[in-house]
Amino acid sequence: MAAHPSLGETLAVLLARDIADGEKVIIGTNSDIQLAACNLARRLQAPRLWWISGPGGMVNPTRDHLLSTADYENVESAESWMDLPVMIDFIDWKVHFFDFAILSALQVDRFGNINTVVVGDQRKPRVRGPGTVGISALCGLAKRFYVCLTRHDRSAFVPRVDFLCGPGHMEGGDSRERMGLPPGGPRLVLSPLGVFDFAPDSKAMRVKSISPGVSLEQIRDATAFDIVVEGTPPVTTMPTDHELELLRKHVDRRGDLRRKFP
Amino acid sequence: MTKSKIVSVDEAVAEIPDGAKVALGGWIFNSQPMALVRALIRKGARDLHLIPAPGSIAPDMLIGAGCVASTVCVFISFEQFGLAPNFRRHAESGALKVYDLDGPGIAGGLRAGICDLPYMPVPDLGTDLPKFAPEHYWPLPSKPGERKMLAVAAVKPDVCLLHAQQADEHGNVQHLGPPFFDAMIAQASRRVIVSVDRIVSTDTIRRSNHLTKLPSAMVDAIVEAPFGAHPTTSPSLYRSDEAHLKEYVKSSAGAEAFSFYLDRYVRNASSSAYLDAIGGSRLAALAVSETNLK
Repeated sequence: MAAHPSLGETLAVLLARDIADGEKVIIGTNSDIQLAACNLARRLQAPRLWWISGPGGMVNPTRDHLLSTADYENVESAESWMDLPVMIDFIDWKVHFFDFAILSALQVDRFGNINTVVVGDQRKPRVRGPGTVGISALCGLAKRFYVCLTRHDRSAFVPRVDFLCGPGHMEGGDSRERMGLPPGGPRLVLSPLGVFDFAPDSKAMRVKSISPGVSLEQIRDATAFDIVVEGTPPVTTMPTDHELELLRKHVDRRGDLRRKFP
Repeated sequence: MTKSKIVSVDEAVAEIPDGAKVALGGWIFNSQPMALVRALIRKGARDLHLIPAPGSIAPDMLIGAGCVASTVCVFISFEQFGLAPNFRRHAESGALKVYDLDGPGIAGGLRAGICDLPYMPVPDLGTDLPKFAPEHYWPLPSKPGERKMLAVAAVKPDVCLLHAQQADEHGNVQHLGPPFFDAMIAQASRRVIVSVDRIVSTDTIRRSNHLTKLPSAMVDAIVEAPFGAHPTTSPSLYRSDEAHLKEYVKSSAGAEAFSFYLDRYVRNASSSAYLDAIGGSRLAALAVSETNLK
């Protein structure tokens, strides 16, 4: 029996399970969990996953341990790197080129819009975040995207993001399509408390499954909007011994996920 | 006979006037033009308008040293070390004017600058960016059923500061790794200043001319600055100095602490004194080969 999975390991495994072979995915910076998910999926059901990291434009870097996606060592171990202006075109203009993106955020709202820019007013923010970079286009143009948050509280799960830099379902309903964006948008939001998707018509966030030992009450308390609950959501299926063993032996040998996201 | 473009680091920045629009090359912890940034701080530059490629310590240090009136922010981050400390402090106090741009905004803006066009069209992705930077984004007319478009204003830096690995005296600049946004920034900038870790002969340049990303005609000044990207990576020559980046973040907790950092590493330190302060054994350990060692 493998040791109990850490939060970071669980999130990586849950993301990896949702990836199909042959898909094309882009991840952002500061993306240990996202990177682990991609390389784990390549070890499991998706050996021909093609993934690229926004910051470096590097394709399929695989090491047996995690490195910052801004780290030159990832550039060195990639199959190719792309000139960034070309990369920007690749991300930003070829509608639906990517199958999906995996992102994190300062805030996510009821309709899956995300914010990595500021908390509060942009002109005098309470928290100044890193900025938008490719997130506008990734959320706006990828066929689907995932939002992975390592905290779940009322400052992260907000009714409306303070600065919309990554369009999800905009104002809900069909507003994303009315904005002229291609269909798709946020597919899953993952947090320590559970996995969340979006109700088909309203496009409001709903509980898909709950982490073991967590109550619906806890999720409601930690979410600053009315989250949709239909019936009794199941408990999230935790990583198997096999998934954990692959992750620890071939993807995260140094145990960074356990150390950084216990 | 072509005149040599090699100048000292202080000469290179001497003619950058206060209030200039200064673009910064590299990418997050790669090839930040730090020797040039430190020289600009030593010179006492004021009221600069920064246009940084997605970066880290280069824009952050200039902001922390009080050289900056406004900055474009595509992405300014310290990644695993947290939010950019001085950028954060100055933006949160309201003192620093920040123009948030996204990838299409900066790439389209630089392209417009390069082509001498007033703007480039980009798709309207429904973000709040135009609301907070109307100088950079405005709606373009579209007919019903057509895709919604924005104009992004041309980005035309007065000067850009870049760091690459090697160049010759004529200003042929070679990147021994990804050039990131450097070539585009150089093409859009009125004046191009490049620091390199080493000067090589033109014969060396010719032997691997596919590495020349900036031909000499595009470059105005070359500065020889060994470890000139420290504490960030200079691809294929040395890795980023994580210990120093951590020290920098720790030293940026407040204005007073950061002033001590600047006194020690920037204001009272020439480029060689800076390297001495970092230490020879530390620098030697950053040299990369196959780096999967630790």
